[in-house]
Amino acid sequence: MFSLRLSPEQIEIRDAVRDLVETEIRPAAIKPARLEASERPLLTALLDKASGMGLRTLTLSEADGGAAADTLTGCIVTEELAAGDPDIAAVLAHTSVLGGILARAMTPAQRERFLPPFVRDERYHLAWAGGAAGKRSGGEWIVDGVTDAVGNAPLAKLFAVQVRMPDGTRTLLVPRDTPGLSVRPHDGRWFHGARGEVTLKDCRVPAENLLGPEELDPPVGGPAFQAIALGIGRAAYEAALAYAQLRVQGGRRIIEHQAIGAKLARCAMKLEVARAAVWRAAWACDHPEAVSDRSLPDLPLATVARVFTSEAMLEVAKHAAECFGAMGVMRDMPLQQYVHDARVCLHADRSNDESTLELAQALAGDRRAAAA
Amino acid sequence: MDFSLSEEQRAWQAKARKFAKEEIRPISLARDAIADPAATFDWEMFKKGSKLGFRTMAVPKEWGGEGTDFVTQALVMAELARADSAISKSFSQCWKWSHLIAAVCSQEQKERFLKPFLADDTFVLGKGITEHSAGSDNRLPPPDEPKAGLKLRAERRGDEWILNGEKAFIANANIGKLFFIDARTDPNAPLKQGTTLFLVPRDTPGFRPGKVFNKSGWRFYQNAEMIFENARVPHANVVGEVNGAIRKTGGSGGDTTGGDLFGDLELSANALGICDDACETALHHARTAKQGGRVLFEQQLIKLKLNRMHMLTEALRSFVLRVAWEHDCRVHSVNAGLAMNYSTDVVQEVTELYMDVRGGAGCVMDPHADKLVRDSIIWSHLAGDTVQRLKVAGRLAV
Repeated sequence: MFSLRLSPEQIEIRDAVRDLVETEIRPAAIKPARLEASERPLLTALLDKASGMGLRTLTLSEADGGAAADTLTGCIVTEELAAGDPDIAAVLAHTSVLGGILARAMTPAQRERFLPPFVRDERYHLAWAGGAAGKRSGGEWIVDGVTDAVGNAPLAKLFAVQVRMPDGTRTLLVPRDTPGLSVRPHDGRWFHGARGEVTLKDCRVPAENLLGPEELDPPVGGPAFQAIALGIGRAAYEAALAYAQLRVQGGRRIIEHQAIGAKLARCAMKLEVARAAVWRAAWACDHPEAVSDRSLPDLPLATVARVFTSEAMLEVAKHAAECFGAMGVMRDMPLQQYVHDARVCLHADRSNDESTLELAQALAGDRRAAAA
Repeated sequence: MDFSLSEEQRAWQAKARKFAKEEIRPISLARDAIADPAATFDWEMFKKGSKLGFRTMAVPKEWGGEGTDFVTQALVMAELARADSAISKSFSQCWKWSHLIAAVCSQEQKERFLKPFLADDTFVLGKGITEHSAGSDNRLPPPDEPKAGLKLRAERRGDEWILNGEKAFIANANIGKLFFIDARTDPNAPLKQGTTLFLVPRDTPGFRPGKVFNKSGWRFYQNAEMIFENARVPHANVVGEVNGAIRKTGGSGGDTTGGDLFGDLELSANALGICDDACETALHHARTAKQGGRVLFEQQLIKLKLNRMHMLTEALRSFVLRVAWEHDCRVHSVNAGLAMNYSTDVVQEVTELYMDVRGGAGCVMDPHADKLVRDSIIWSHLAGDTVQRLKVAGRLAV
C-alpha cells in the first residue's frame, strides 16, 4: 500500500539528524571564514560524528550492525544532512547506499572478511568505480583501468570496481591498499563530498573478491542523491523565510509584502513537489513489485525526480538569495553558496539533457502501460 | 526606421572592441580568481582605458569630455562587458555620476570637481545611498512610513555640514576620489522631503572606507562600506537645494537627469555584452567540442539551446539600442526600466544555457562559464528584484 505515513523509526532518525545539523553541522558549515575560502575542506570531525550515529551503515541489516534502512529512509537522512552540509551528505550517501548493495551481494566468506572492519571503523568509506578491464591469472584477477570523478575515492577503504572480463562485466572488491591502486583527489567547487580519479595498474585482486553472480547496477544517481538537492533548496528557503520574518522594509516585515510572500510560497510549492517526486522514486526502489502489479508506471522515476528536483532547487535557491538583496551575493553569507551548490547538483554527473533523453528513450521503446 | 550607426558611433565601438580584446579579455579570469576582494582591481589596465576616453566619455564636450551620445555609450558598455562585465561597470560607473555632475551641479562645483576628474586617470566616482537597514526603502519609499529609508545624518554647523552614519554596499567606496552622498537633513520629514545630496571628496576629515565586500560575481568591481564620524563637508558641496536630493536625482518617478536614467540603460547594455560573450563562446564550443565522436552542434538539444540564447540576446540588443536612442531623442518612457528588468531575465537564462552547453559530466566546470553565471546573478538585486520591477511598474501609472 502506498502510504506517506512515516514510521516512528523514520521520524526518530529524521529528528536526530536534524538536531545534529542545527546544533553542530550548519553552524560549522556557514562560518564566514569557511564560506570565503576558495576551497571548502570536508568537515571531517562532524562527518565522523554523523558516522558514529550509524548514518554510514544505515542500509546494512540489523544482524550486520546496520539499521536496515530502506531507500526512503536514506532520502530523509540525506536531505537533513544536505540542509546542513551537502559534502557530508554526499559522502555518507555514497557509503550507506553502497554498503547495503554490496553486503547483499557478498558470499558468507566475503561478509566475514569485509563487513566487521567496515562496521567497526567510523572512517571506513566505500566507492564505486567503473571502466576497468580484467583478465584471470591463476587465483587472481589482473585489473587495469582509469576512472575519473569517482565519488568518495579519496576517502574510500574499499572500492567496488566494474570490470570487463572475458565473460562479461562483473564487480570486484578492491581494498584501498591493493598494490597498483592509486587515487588522485580532485579539488575545486564542482562536486559534493570527495572525488578523485582512480587508477588501477596491474592490480592483482584475489579471485575470491569477485562479487555476486552477476553485474551490479551502478548505485550512484538514485533517489538518495536527489535528496542532496532537496536539502540545499530547503536550507536556502528556510534562511529566506527566517529573514523575511525579521527584515522590515516598506513599513512591514518583508514576508507581508505580496511580492516576497508569493516568492516564498512558490519556493515552498517547488520543495513539496520535488520531495514528493524523490520519495515516490524511493518508494519504487523499496517496492520493486509495484511496477509489475501496475501500481506504478514503468518509467525511470529516479530520472524524473533528478531532472525536476535539480531544476526546481536552483530556482528556489535563486529566489531565496534575492530576498537578501546585496547580501545574497556576498561570499561570507551562505546564500551564494546555496545557489552554487544547487548548480553543482544540476551539472555534476549526468546532465539533465542526458537524463531527459533517457526518459525519452524509455517512452519510445518498450513501454508497458502505466496504471490504468 | 533606421538601424544604421553613425561613423562616430562605429569608431567608438571598434575602439572599445579592440581595447576589450587586447587589454581586458587577457586579464579577466585571473582577476576574477583573486581571493582578496580588495586586490582584484587592475590600475594599469584602468589607466590605459582612461587615456582612450573610456572613463570620461560621458562628460560633455564643453567641459573637456568626450560628449558621446547614449547610443555610443550603450555600444561601448556592451563591447567592454563582452570581455569582462565587472570591468565595463568600473568604467561606466564613472559615466553614471559624471552625467549627474553635468545635470545637477552648479558651475562652481563643476569647476571644482569635473576638472580634476578629467585630469586624473585614476579619478573614480561613486554614490552612497544604500545602508544596512535601508535598501528597498530608498528605492520605493513607503508612503505610510515617513521615517523609513536612509539614516545617515547631516547637521549644519556654520559653513559646514557634519555627517554621521554608515553606508553599505557602495560601489567604488574604497577606491573613489569623489562621492555623492545622500544624507538625512530633516529626520522628521519623509525621505523625499528630508534628504540632501552632498559632494564628498575622499580626503574629507571624518570619512573612511570600511569593509570591502567579497562578492561571488563582479569580483573586479570594488564595493565597500563608508563610515562617517563627524565628517565635515563644506556647505558649498551641497548639490542643489537642502532637502532636495531625491527631487534632483530621481526617486520612484524616474529622473530625467542622469542617475537613474543612465543606470537603467547601463545595466541592460552591460548584460548585452555578457550575452554576446556567452553566445559567441557557446557557438564556438558547440562547433569544435566532440561528444561520442560527433561535434556537439549535431545534437538537436544543443542547437535548440543556441537558438534560444541568440534569440534572447538579439531581442535584448534591440531593446537596449531603442532605449539609448530614446534617451538621445529625449523621449521619456518607462522603457529604460523595463529593459533593465528584462536584461536580468535574459542574462541569467543565456549564461545558464551557456553553462549547459559547456557542462559535461565530472567534477570540473569551465571557469569562463562559471564566471559569467556568477556575474549575471548580480542582476538579481540590482536590476531584476521585485522592488525594481514594482518601481518600474509604478512609472507606468505616472
